[in-house]
Amino acid sequence: MEQSIAIEQALQNIQLLIGNIEKVIRGKRPQIELILTALLAKGHILMEDNPGTGKTVMAKTLAHSIAGKQHNSEVNFKRIQFTPDLLPMDLIGSHIFDDVHKEFVFKKGPLFCNVLLADEINRASPKVQSALLECMAENQITIGETTYPLEQLFFTIATQNPVEMEGTYPLPAAQLDRFYLKIYFGYVDEATELDIYKDYLGIQNNLEHTQQVLNMEDILLLQQQAQQVHLHDELTIAVRNIVSETRKHPDIVLGASTRSGITFLKCLKAFALVQGRTFVTEDDLQLITPAVLDHRLIYRNKEAKQKALASILNKEMERLSKLKLSH
Amino acid sequence: MKIGNVHNAKKVLAQLLLLAVPTVALVAYLLWHLNLSYQILQNDWQKQALYFAGGIAGAIILYSYRFRFITTAALLFVVYYYAYRSIGNVSVGEFDAFFASVQFLIFAILFSAGWICGFGFSRSRYFTVFWAVFLLAVQIVTASKTHTITASAIISSFLPTLAYAVYIIYTAELIRNMNPSERHFGWFVFKRLAGFGLVLAALFFLLLQTFNKNFQAVEKEWGQGQGKYDQNRSNQESMTKENRDGSVGNKDQTQLTGSLNKGKRLVFVAKLDNYFEDGKTPNPLYFTAYYYTRFDTLTQTFETDTKMPDNDLFKPDPSKIPIYFAKTDSTVIKNAHATKARKVVTADIYKTLLGPSEYVAPSTAFFCQPLPVEASYKDQYKSAYRAKMWVSDLNSAYFIYNPAGNQMLEQFQEQRFKTLRQVTDFTGIPESFKQYYTFMPKDPEYDRIKTLAQEITKDAPTPLDKMLAIRDYFLSKDEFDQPLFKYTNNPGVPGMPSANKLNYFLFENRKGYCAYYAGASLFMLRAMGIPSRIAAGFLTVDRSSKNPGWYWFYEDQAHAWVQIFFPGYGWIDFDTTIPDLEAHESEQPDGTPPLNMQQAYLVADGHITSVDTTTKKLTMSVEKLLFHDQNYESTRPDTLSIDGAVAQVSADSGAVPFSVLRKGMHITAASFAEALKDMTANPQESMADVLKRVPKPAPADEIKIIEEEATQQPHKNMFENIQPVNWLKVLATVLIVAAILIVLVFAMPWLIWQVIHARAKGNKATPQSAYHKYRAALYYLNQLGYSRHQKGPGDYARDTDARFGTAFYTFSNVYQKLKYSKQPLTASEEAVVAQFYTPFIQSVKKQVPLRKRTAAFLNIYNTIHYFTQPK
Repeated sequence: MEQSIAIEQALQNIQLLIGNIEKVIRGKRPQIELILTALLAKGHILMEDNPGTGKTVMAKTLAHSIAGKQHNSEVNFKRIQFTPDLLPMDLIGSHIFDDVHKEFVFKKGPLFCNVLLADEINRASPKVQSALLECMAENQITIGETTYPLEQLFFTIATQNPVEMEGTYPLPAAQLDRFYLKIYFGYVDEATELDIYKDYLGIQNNLEHTQQVLNMEDILLLQQQAQQVHLHDELTIAVRNIVSETRKHPDIVLGASTRSGITFLKCLKAFALVQGRTFVTEDDLQLITPAVLDHRLIYRNKEAKQKALASILNKEMERLSKLKLSH
Repeated sequence: MKIGNVHNAKKVLAQLLLLAVPTVALVAYLLWHLNLSYQILQNDWQKQALYFAGGIAGAIILYSYRFRFITTAALLFVVYYYAYRSIGNVSVGEFDAFFASVQFLIFAILFSAGWICGFGFSRSRYFTVFWAVFLLAVQIVTASKTHTITASAIISSFLPTLAYAVYIIYTAELIRNMNPSERHFGWFVFKRLAGFGLVLAALFFLLLQTFNKNFQAVEKEWGQGQGKYDQNRSNQESMTKENRDGSVGNKDQTQLTGSLNKGKRLVFVAKLDNYFEDGKTPNPLYFTAYYYTRFDTLTQTFETDTKMPDNDLFKPDPSKIPIYFAKTDSTVIKNAHATKARKVVTADIYKTLLGPSEYVAPSTAFFCQPLPVEASYKDQYKSAYRAKMWVSDLNSAYFIYNPAGNQMLEQFQEQRFKTLRQVTDFTGIPESFKQYYTFMPKDPEYDRIKTLAQEITKDAPTPLDKMLAIRDYFLSKDEFDQPLFKYTNNPGVPGMPSANKLNYFLFENRKGYCAYYAGASLFMLRAMGIPSRIAAGFLTVDRSSKNPGWYWFYEDQAHAWVQIFFPGYGWIDFDTTIPDLEAHESEQPDGTPPLNMQQAYLVADGHITSVDTTTKKLTMSVEKLLFHDQNYESTRPDTLSIDGAVAQVSADSGAVPFSVLRKGMHITAASFAEALKDMTANPQESMADVLKRVPKPAPADEIKIIEEEATQQPHKNMFENIQPVNWLKVLATVLIVAAILIVLVFAMPWLIWQVIHARAKGNKATPQSAYHKYRAALYYLNQLGYSRHQKGPGDYARDTDARFGTAFYTFSNVYQKLKYSKQPLTASEEAVVAQFYTPFIQSVKKQVPLRKRTAAFLNIYNTIHYFTQPK
């Protein structure tokens, strides 16, 4: 009974958060849901799209919506604009000589935060990229002999710009794997766009006065509850099938790894929770598969990029839809 | 450079074992065949098969990697070219070089064929079809080179290729479609192939079993076709025909040809009760089967004519008459127009090779009574009948082979000539009759015969003398004291194919067999206005002094002769064929005649109503009854029970076991029982009265099966039943079947829908029912053309709701919960499941017009799409 109340509360909290973000970001419900999925799955997200589609505002709004540990403080939100001359120490911080105490003290870099917006991640040198990604994977930073744990809630929103590719360092496949989801932000539809133009002042106002609807504990609790979501065996089998099919498909050069499979399961559960359910369904699988897998696969050509995964998924969905009820 | 592969090792192995090995085996077989027909191949098929095997194996392995065909083939040809060039350099001597280059050419062709074949197996999906067609074409060419056309030869040349074609197309597709990463790949392949092989074997077995008789008949037909071909080549003719079941009969037409074929087998045995005036010297008579009254000048063939005036030919089918029951035709006697010197004579004919439905008897026969054959002779004689004839005292087989020295016969001959000389002209007979029997073709060639006839008979006053003059002409000698005419079975043909063969016979060649002599005589007689015709049948030879009145008839006794009509005396046989002086073989001896049958006291004819094979008892409904020679007939059949414990059962083909008898068969049962002997027949009695008197069950000694269409057993006389194929009927059947199939195909989506719909109906909320509802909804939407097409169930349901105003999304969510969640459904959710289906279908129906729905439900592709996995 207590559990069901907790679940009800969780589902309400999620809706609250989404509603709050939607006050600022309009017509982007699926993207918001996917970002929250990554958040609840304790993962990170890569957003790719043209400038000016609201990526940064999105990250900011999310951060502002969550209250920090102390009352009335918001969670620690940092934004790093990645450039080619950025150095790893600019991210993680450095030892600085303290004149007063005559010793080196560690000055924490922007990584020590709760929500990190890594803007245009592909503009930084591979050295910086790998420094960031390592932190994302380990949730800690080691400098010299000291290991500094990162915040319990550490969520990275990285963005990538598909235009102006000159002088960029595209992320290697192994590092892309660290991002749980990769989403395309995209433009809003025309009606919503008109709506935004008419009300841009209001939106501006909303952004500046974002309400803190949840606190960090709520998020951590949601992350825990996401793990409790029921996943039917057939869907686990479906994930296994999809992952192994990507390895066999003639148009896919590099298939998904087992780690991606585990990430896949985590994301499925989190997504179901975001959808307001305590069990995963076929719809979740259908909606989340491209975001989870697309950036992890290397295709033979452009045509295959559009078709291969869709055909694998379609085949699996067909199988699932014909399944008899197991009980 | 790394070259990617198209197939993995397992698939390549499967291709090598399951496609290449059988192909090489078949090609080896074909090459062996080809080597028999073509010199150039040098009879070295093993080596040639090896070339081919090399090509196919190499290609399959090579093309399992991503090699291009054109470049590799070009490379191969370059290799060929340089190899060919080097042959010229290595070999010494012109002949060696030629020989080697021919060998190399064969190698190159076969290796290339194997290469292309291997490439096709490896890469091309439909290659096997073309390949099979190609092999069949090769096989047709090869088969046409072989000389003998027999069913076994055809089967041996086509069956392997045909079986291979079926196998290779199936297996190639099987290998193509299988998943090589399957763990039990080998077992999977084996299972499929074994099943396929079993089905195929069963099919072939059934076909052979069902059509075996037909195959044999076809083979025989081909054989006969071959025979006909041979005949045409050597221009050979036979006086008898052979039926499909091997029995023999006279032919209803005889062509004049260059050669005559004569067999030596016994055809039938006859006892003829015709004696000279002394009562003990047998007077043999020719046995007639047909009268040839027409002559086809174009094909030079003597033919029967159904429109013959005053038809006096009695031609019953003894196999269709119940034993002991007689068939009589008195119009024959009337039509014979013979009033003087005639008597009734009886003949018993026992058939050996003569067909069951054949009837031969001396002219003029009017009576036929089938008789049973005595048990101990059943192996030898298949059936028997008694014939009665209206025979002229003046008729006799002693005409040409007049036994010199036999005073009595010479006296008889003189006597009958004297009698016949009384006929001097043919004024008394009807004009149409005379015109018909003196008809001659209007042609100068026949005028030549007329001139000859008049010259020969210029001194003969009466028709008989003219006849004798013709006979003497054939027996006369030329200026060198050599016989003018000779008897030969191989007279040859005139140099001009269209030349008149009778003229050739009479004026140039002067050699021939009976048909020539009879034909020439006929036209000479007719030229002089003497009514005459040709009779075909068997000549009778009296060879036995032991069994007077018994005559044996062999195949070479089939004969043709002339009959002359003498007003008042009727048709009299005359044989103008001269003896074969060059015949050296001894004549076949007469055998032992069969015993006479016992007197049958009771003969019942009718259909079996019940039969018990264990106690050998049966009951029959009697339609006709013979009791002490008294005939009873009844329209209302009476039943008679019969004890067949000692009965001999026979059919036209000979003796058969009792167990052959079946309900509904037409039989004739005869009894020789002593118990019946003392009873007497009363003509006033009805059939029922007689049957009441006879003991029950009545003992039967003879049971004869009358073969009717309905009771004919399938394994017997099958060839008689082969009807000419009615192509219209076949076409109609095919069309109807095709139409039904097409209708079925188009109705399939609707029929499937009915099944699915029936399962989904109702307001139950069980998981099972939810499943059926969901599936039915999917099927219905899919069939109407709104397929899921890469959408998730939620999106799809939402789209459907937007289009049709249904509540599919809600139901879909509940269904998903039912499917993937552990939680039970709430009451409201159960209500959603229960109330979803009917409104859903109704609102979709409302939105889609009937015409569109009908069209959509005729679309089988949607149905197939629904049930198949997407690619």
